[in-house]
Amino acid sequence: MSRTALEGIMVISLGTGVVVPDATKMLGELGANVIKFESTDNPDFVRTLGPKNTVAGFNESNRNKRSFGVNLKSEKGRDLAKRLIKMSDVVVENFRGGVVKSLGLDYESVRQLKPDIIYVSSQGFGSGGPHADYPCYGPMLSAASGMLSIWKQPDDPYPAGSNSPLPDHMASKHVAIAVLAALDYRRRTGKGQFIDMAQTEVAAALMGEKYLEYTMNKQVPQPLGNRCPYAAPHGCYPCNGQDNWVAISVFTNEEWRSFSKAIGNPEWAKDPRFAEIPGRVKNVDELDKLIAEWTADRDAWDVMETLQEARVPAGVVQRAPDTLRDPQLKHLNAIVELDHPEVGNRLYNNVPFHMSATPPLSSSTAPLLGQHTNEICRELLKMSAEEIEQLIAQGILESA
Amino acid sequence: MAAKEQEGALTGYRILDLTDSKGAYCTKLLADMGADVIKIEPPCGDQGRRIPPFLNGEPHPDKSFYFLYRNANKRGVTLNMESDEGKDILRKLAKSADVLVENFGPGCMDSLGLGYDVLVGINPKLIIASITEFGPDGPWRDYRGSNIVDFALSGVMITSGYTGKAPTLLPGTPAYDAASEIADIEILAAIYCRDALGKGQKIEVSVHEAARTGLYPWSVPIYSYALNPDGPPPAIESRLGAQIFPVYPCKDGFVRVIAITPRNWQALVRVLGSPEVLMLPEWENFIYRVGNAEDLYAIMLEFTTKFTQIELWEAGFREGVPIAPIYDIPAFTNSADATARKFFVEVEHPVAGKGQYPGPPYKWTETPPTVQRPAPCLGEHNEEIYCGELGLTQDILMALRYAGVL
Repeated sequence: MSRTALEGIMVISLGTGVVVPDATKMLGELGANVIKFESTDNPDFVRTLGPKNTVAGFNESNRNKRSFGVNLKSEKGRDLAKRLIKMSDVVVENFRGGVVKSLGLDYESVRQLKPDIIYVSSQGFGSGGPHADYPCYGPMLSAASGMLSIWKQPDDPYPAGSNSPLPDHMASKHVAIAVLAALDYRRRTGKGQFIDMAQTEVAAALMGEKYLEYTMNKQVPQPLGNRCPYAAPHGCYPCNGQDNWVAISVFTNEEWRSFSKAIGNPEWAKDPRFAEIPGRVKNVDELDKLIAEWTADRDAWDVMETLQEARVPAGVVQRAPDTLRDPQLKHLNAIVELDHPEVGNRLYNNVPFHMSATPPLSSSTAPLLGQHTNEICRELLKMSAEEIEQLIAQGILESA
Repeated sequence: MAAKEQEGALTGYRILDLTDSKGAYCTKLLADMGADVIKIEPPCGDQGRRIPPFLNGEPHPDKSFYFLYRNANKRGVTLNMESDEGKDILRKLAKSADVLVENFGPGCMDSLGLGYDVLVGINPKLIIASITEFGPDGPWRDYRGSNIVDFALSGVMITSGYTGKAPTLLPGTPAYDAASEIADIEILAAIYCRDALGKGQKIEVSVHEAARTGLYPWSVPIYSYALNPDGPPPAIESRLGAQIFPVYPCKDGFVRVIAITPRNWQALVRVLGSPEVLMLPEWENFIYRVGNAEDLYAIMLEFTTKFTQIELWEAGFREGVPIAPIYDIPAFTNSADATARKFFVEVEHPVAGKGQYPGPPYKWTETPPTVQRPAPCLGEHNEEIYCGELGLTQDILMALRYAGVL
C-alpha cells in the first residue's frame, strides 16, 4: 500500500468562487484531508448560481473535500471552527478583504491557536493597497491587471475577454504551489507563515514580459490578436458548421512547405512572397484570407489531422463535445464520470497528476452542504450525538 | 540581516532546468522561492532568447523580454547533451540535484541515454518532471503543439474574444504556463514526501491535459450538466464575455461590470444615477440582459460615459456592484495597489541594464519570494559550476568549449 504525497495534512478551506475551492481540490487530490467551512447563510456564491447542489462549476471545483456546515457568525460556531483549525496544518481563505478578521479567524488570531499554521489569503488586489477590501471576480482581475487591454483583436471595439473565470484557474494553482512550498519549509524548520496573494498580480506575472516592454522600452503593449510577429500563418481559421475553428501555426520554412503540400500545393501557395518568413509575415492579411478560403468548407478535425500528419502544428478550437471525442485525452484518462448523489452520473476532469511513486487519490464528488458535519463532529471534535443534534437545532451546525 | 541573502522556502534545493518556453515558468516559480535553478542551454542558446520584443528593438540573446523575465533568478550553463562529454557532465550534475525538469519530447531523454532509469541509478532521490505537448504516449504522442494550437485545444479559446469574430489568443504563453504550474504542484508534492518515501519519482505532464485543468476545468462539467436525455441539446459554447461580464465606455476608457444578482443590478442603476430607462423591471433579470446585451449597451453609453473609471469602480464598491477599470499595462504598473504592494522590483542585468520587473504575486512573512538575480547570460555560470563545483580545470573547460560541448 503506497502513501499519498500529503498524507496526514489537514487543510481548512474558507473558500468561495474559484481560487480557493480549486486550490484545495488539488491538495485533496494529493491526499490532504480538506474540510470546507460553509453555511446556508454564508454560502460559497458558486453554489447559489443554480438549484441547490446542482451547479457544475461548484461540483467540479469542490471535489476531494468534506463539507462542514457551520455558522461562523455564531460564537459557538466559531469555537468549533477554531478547534478544527487548531488540529490543521493549512488555512486558505479568499473571502472579501477584512471578513476573516471580523470573524476572528484571521492569521494573527489563528496563529495564537496554532503557531506553525500556514495561512494563505488570496484577495483580488491583495492587502495593503486602496482596494484591498473590494470584492473581486476573475473577469475584474483580467481587467484591472492590464491583461484584458491586450487580449483582443486590434480592430475589436473593446476587449471582451472570456465568459470563463480567467485568471482564477491560474491563480488557484499559484495558491497550491505556495501551500506546498510552505509545507516543505515547515517540515524542515518547524515554521509556518502567512502568505498574502494578489490575484491581479498573478495575471500580471503570467505575462511579465509585457510589463518589461513598458517599463524598459517605454512602449504601451498593443493587442496582437492571434498574430505572431515572427510567424505566419498564425491564427484561427473558420471551418464548416456553426462557429467552428481550427488554429494553425507555421514557424519555419520547412513547416510552410509541409503545409503547402498537405493542402494539395494550390497555385497561390507557390507565390514566392510566401516562401520565407519575412514575406509571409508581411503579407499575412492575404495569406490568412487564402487559408480561410481553404478551411471554410472543411471539417475542423479533418484539417487538424491532415496538417498534424504533415507535422504542422494545428488544433481544433475545442469546446466540450470535442474534448469528449479527443482520442489523446481519452488515452490520458483525462475525463472521469462520477456519480453525485443529487445529479447522478456526470463528467469531470480527472486528477491531472501523473506521479510514479505517490499515485494521487481517485476523484470523489463535491459534498452537499453540510454532508460531513456529523462525521467531523464525531471523529475530530469527539462530540456526542445529542450535542450535535442540539447545535443543528440551534442553527449553529448544518447537516445534509 | 540585510547583509545575508534572504532565505526562500526552497533555499537549498537544486533544480536542473532543461526546458525552453514550455517549462520556463515552472522553474521560474521555484527560483523565485529560493531554489537554486541551473538553466542548462544548448551552446547556441535557448530559443526563448530569440523571442521578440527586445530591449530598444535590438535583437540580442540578452535583450528578449520574454527570456529576461522568465529566467530571472536562475543560473545558466551551456551544455551539448548530444556529446559524450556533455552526457557525462549532466550525470555528474544529476548526482547533487533534487529535481530535473525537461521538455525535449517523448522518449528523447531515453534515446540520449539519460532516461529516468539511468539518472535514478545515479541519484535515487532525484525527482524528474517531463513536460510534453501531448503526453509520453498515445495516438497524438508525436503531434506538434504551439502556443496558439495548445490554447485552442484547451477548451477556453472558443470562449475568448468578441462575439462573431475569431476566437482570440490570451497574451503570454497560457497553455505552457498552465503546464508549468501543474508540474510545480507535482514537483513540490514529490519534494514534500521524498524523505518519507526514501526516494524521488517520475512526473509526467502534458500541455494538452494541463491546459484544460489549468485554464478552464469547468468546460466539460458545464456541458455534462446541461445534457438531459429528455430536453433540448445544450446551447453551443461561444464567446459571451461581453454579454455576461459587460464592458462599457466611460470618460477615460472602459470598465467591466459584474452584475449577476438583481441586487448587483439595482446597485449599478444607483451608481448611474437611477435613470428611468434602466428601471424597467425586465432589466433586473440577468438572462434577459445577456440576451439583449446590444440594446443594453446602446442605452448604457449615455450614463456610463459621464463618469471616470475610478468613479465607477469606487461607486460600485459603495453601492454593491463589482466594477473594475480596464487598465492598460502602464495603468496597472503605476496603479496605487501595485505601488502600495511594491509589486514591481528593480533588477539589473549586465547587458540589458536596470528594469522594473513584475515580482512574485504573493508576500510571505517568513520566506518572501524575491527576484535576487537577473536572467543569466549564455554560459555565464559555466566556470562557477563546472570548475567551482564539478572540479573541472580551466584547461578542460577551454577544451570542452573548443569541442562544442559547452
